[in-house]
Amino acid sequence: MELSKTLTHKGTKSSIVDNYKDDSGVGCPLGPAAYPSRSENARLRDSGCRSQRAVAGRTAAVYPGHTGIAAGVGARRTGAPRGRGVGPVGRAGGTAMLTDAFRRELRSALGPGAVLDDPAQLATYECDGLTGYRVTPALVVLPASTGQVATVVRACARERVPFVARGAGTGLSGGALPHADGVLIVTSRMRRILEIDLANRRMTLEPGVTNLDVSKAVAGDGMYYAPDPSSQVVCTIGGNVAENSGGAHCLKYGFTTNHVLALEVVLPDGEVVTLGGDAPDPTGYDLRGFFIGSEGTLGIATRITVRLLARPEAVRTLVADFPSPHHAGDAVSAIVAAGIVPAAIEMMDNLAIQACERATGAGYSLDAGAALVVEVDGPEADCGPAFEQVRRLCRETGATRLRDAGGDGERARIWKGRRAAFAAMGRISRDYFVQDGVIPRTRLGEVLERIGRMGEDAGLRVANVFHAGDGNLHPLVLYDERVEGEAERAERLSTMIVELCVEQGGSITGEHGVGRDKQCSMPKMFDADDLAVMDRARAAWDPQGICNPGKLLPTPRLCGELRGRYRPHPLEAAGVIGRG
Amino acid sequence: MRRDVLRPASAAEARDALAGAAASGRSVLIRGGGTKLDWGGAVEADVELDTRALDRLVAHNAADMTAVAGAGMPLARLQEQLGEAGQWLALDPPGTDEGATLGGILAAGDAGPRRMRYGSVRDLVIGSTFALADGTVGHSGGLVIKNVAGYDVTKLLCGSLGTLGLVTQVAVRLHPLPGASRTLRITTDARDAARLAAGLAVSPAEPSAVEWAGDPGGTGTMLVRVEGVREGVGARTSAVQDLARGHGLDARPLGGEEEAAAWREHAGAVGGDDGETVARAGFLPDRLPEVAGALARAAAEARTGATLTAGACLGLATCRISGRDAAAHAATLTGWRRAVEGLGGTVALRRRLAGVDQLADPWGTPPSAAALMRALKRRFDPDDRLAPGRFGSWLGGAEQAGQARVARRAGRVDR
Repeated sequence: MELSKTLTHKGTKSSIVDNYKDDSGVGCPLGPAAYPSRSENARLRDSGCRSQRAVAGRTAAVYPGHTGIAAGVGARRTGAPRGRGVGPVGRAGGTAMLTDAFRRELRSALGPGAVLDDPAQLATYECDGLTGYRVTPALVVLPASTGQVATVVRACARERVPFVARGAGTGLSGGALPHADGVLIVTSRMRRILEIDLANRRMTLEPGVTNLDVSKAVAGDGMYYAPDPSSQVVCTIGGNVAENSGGAHCLKYGFTTNHVLALEVVLPDGEVVTLGGDAPDPTGYDLRGFFIGSEGTLGIATRITVRLLARPEAVRTLVADFPSPHHAGDAVSAIVAAGIVPAAIEMMDNLAIQACERATGAGYSLDAGAALVVEVDGPEADCGPAFEQVRRLCRETGATRLRDAGGDGERARIWKGRRAAFAAMGRISRDYFVQDGVIPRTRLGEVLERIGRMGEDAGLRVANVFHAGDGNLHPLVLYDERVEGEAERAERLSTMIVELCVEQGGSITGEHGVGRDKQCSMPKMFDADDLAVMDRARAAWDPQGICNPGKLLPTPRLCGELRGRYRPHPLEAAGVIGRG
Repeated sequence: MRRDVLRPASAAEARDALAGAAASGRSVLIRGGGTKLDWGGAVEADVELDTRALDRLVAHNAADMTAVAGAGMPLARLQEQLGEAGQWLALDPPGTDEGATLGGILAAGDAGPRRMRYGSVRDLVIGSTFALADGTVGHSGGLVIKNVAGYDVTKLLCGSLGTLGLVTQVAVRLHPLPGASRTLRITTDARDAARLAAGLAVSPAEPSAVEWAGDPGGTGTMLVRVEGVREGVGARTSAVQDLARGHGLDARPLGGEEEAAAWREHAGAVGGDDGETVARAGFLPDRLPEVAGALARAAAEARTGATLTAGACLGLATCRISGRDAAAHAATLTGWRRAVEGLGGTVALRRRLAGVDQLADPWGTPPSAAALMRALKRRFDPDDRLAPGRFGSWLGGAEQAGQARVARRAGRVDR
């Protein structure tokens, strides 16, 4: 089977939306607030996947093409081009249907309200932020404690029932896509802040606490939690741990893995262990570091201790307009070369500016070829001179307008515009794929030009929003599904873009994860031995293969035969990196 | 015991060396500069695999602020080369001047005082190439700072002390060398040091290192480093002085050679001399006074000497036990460990006076995740040939490893 062309990356169909709040605490998970191009978006937002499915399934005119194409392991991959189903249609082998005794056992352990098996309820959990893939779980449980999670997992382990953990369901790679024969363990009832230890600058949380609520809880004490993914209003700390979430400020402050001190984890056999500890360098293997970013495949974090930082004394933010992304890229290079590590450098091209400005009125210049949002923070004595230097370097590299955020309100407006970028695409395009690739930052100019040319060749527009400081691109491929063949072209272009990233020495994903979305692209970056080593490690944690199975690593069922498909990484071919 | 020594000069040679050892069922001790060979349990191995010929700076992508180097490259030499571009790998572990290598620092999960600002080696490594006990060569991560593709296998190797595999090449993210640095010296005891440290940790002065070293029951020296934009260092130095004054302490600024000498002396205090026993504790940062007090009491009871060096904002401290004999050293270690574990912390043995091993466990009470470590060890090194005994009872002791080897040689274990 031709692996690279048909089975690799699928761009994320639309995205999450800011300011969505899962108020109920149970059920009604974050429907990925998809399809923001449609006027009924606001209504759909509050009803999650279920309504969207109803729309998709029943009224093809509203959302055409959702005929439910099987994509292995029972996933109906909707929104995909027709007739390109992958692998055998059917269920994962070796797992039994859930027995009544099993359901009764969980119901008696968790209480009747915490175990859902009504088809209508189950359907609300059929997808996460990667809405193109949908699977209805056999059972949904809403445990309220570590003990209840362990009870559920022990029962699953005993019966060899697959399970998948889910936080807010904002993930963009299908990490929380349910298993058709399995249990979906939703952490929405575990949202307590367990301890705030200001003296030791740390906080201990249950996994369902939202990212932003961590910082809010200590805002009055001048502290905050650094990782700030764009979905921070709704996404949970548990999900952040699973995905090793970053955010705009990870350029200076790092990712989730740099900010989590300890985890209580229910392992796939139901054992409860602590990874990490009180001290920053726990003795032995860095199991905490290995778990963070493992996309829910090694266990379920039930208690998370995060590091808090003191708010920096000074923060300065500017928006710099440039004639083109190339000019903006030069500015980024100049800033980095000057030895400045800004808290964030974000870039938007003109299309992205148009979309964000229309969506939020953040005050971006509609006629700018590109804009940079640069934020510098730290001690006042350092911040002032660094900010002046950034201003000077922007002017020297061709900035046409510099707009300083005078205060917190203005800064918030600028960031609101940037954070809304994915959802805002609905303002300028009916449909779009979100991509997430990484390149060495110095290849920025070249890669953007090639993406532009590739878009022209495909007859499609590509909007670019990205974390320019660390080379993490989010090209958004715009298309209109009503136009015959356009979805296929868009999907192909999105895949070509991420392959270009790997070719340039980068990565298939900087923050959205592999999940179900990109597992078949893994052989682009890793050879059979690399993947076999990863699989060995996974098997040490989950020997039965029941914890979020069929994700992250490529499987023959989904991706075809892997061996022999590897081509050396270009840096390997150039002798920059080696493997013997 | 006389060991065969192998010195692979390429990843391929390293793979062949491990595959060869696997074929003959021999156990392997991987070493770099040898500055941390005593950490953890004593290892008995048939073959020594010296990484120091894997010493090339493979790539320095200055504009991307990344570098790739052979695992055997000494950190000091790497820093020299990176420094020419105004960059550095933001690590300052104590063994740097004694030849500590990049791979050894990774395998030990080591860091120095500036861990406070930049993190440990685990926070700075973005990818690695490694060879497992059976010669399988793999890599994880990549050359970009932001990357979540696949499992971060490199993290498992951090702190593995040569028990899971051989790291042959390491990719790291770099930082710009700070424009200026200033260090303040404060004479105080551990209790006041901890109080001042708590203030410094949230101070707008944003120090990059806050260390204390001295007599756990008496006085010592605190070093506070601020670094960054040249124009800012003066104001931040004053801010530290003001904060110290608020605690009734006098902070004297050091610059230039005086500053460098103060940090050299501090690094020297961590390693320990021959005849000493060295152990490392991890605990909640605000427990430093209790941790220091417990060491003073344990040393007094066993009538040994003891000094303590602590990352005062981090919750990490290293003690040196001196004087008398192995039994007394073991008694101090055990007494201190009991107290620190009682506070929720850990104490691990780093080097020791001969004989201490027989009287005290090198690692202490196994963590709840020890079974997980064993499961990983079984998958990566099923015959327990890499650094057998290193993690003592946590992975199964040297004795068990020895038995496994004997059984293997006798052909009684199906491999």
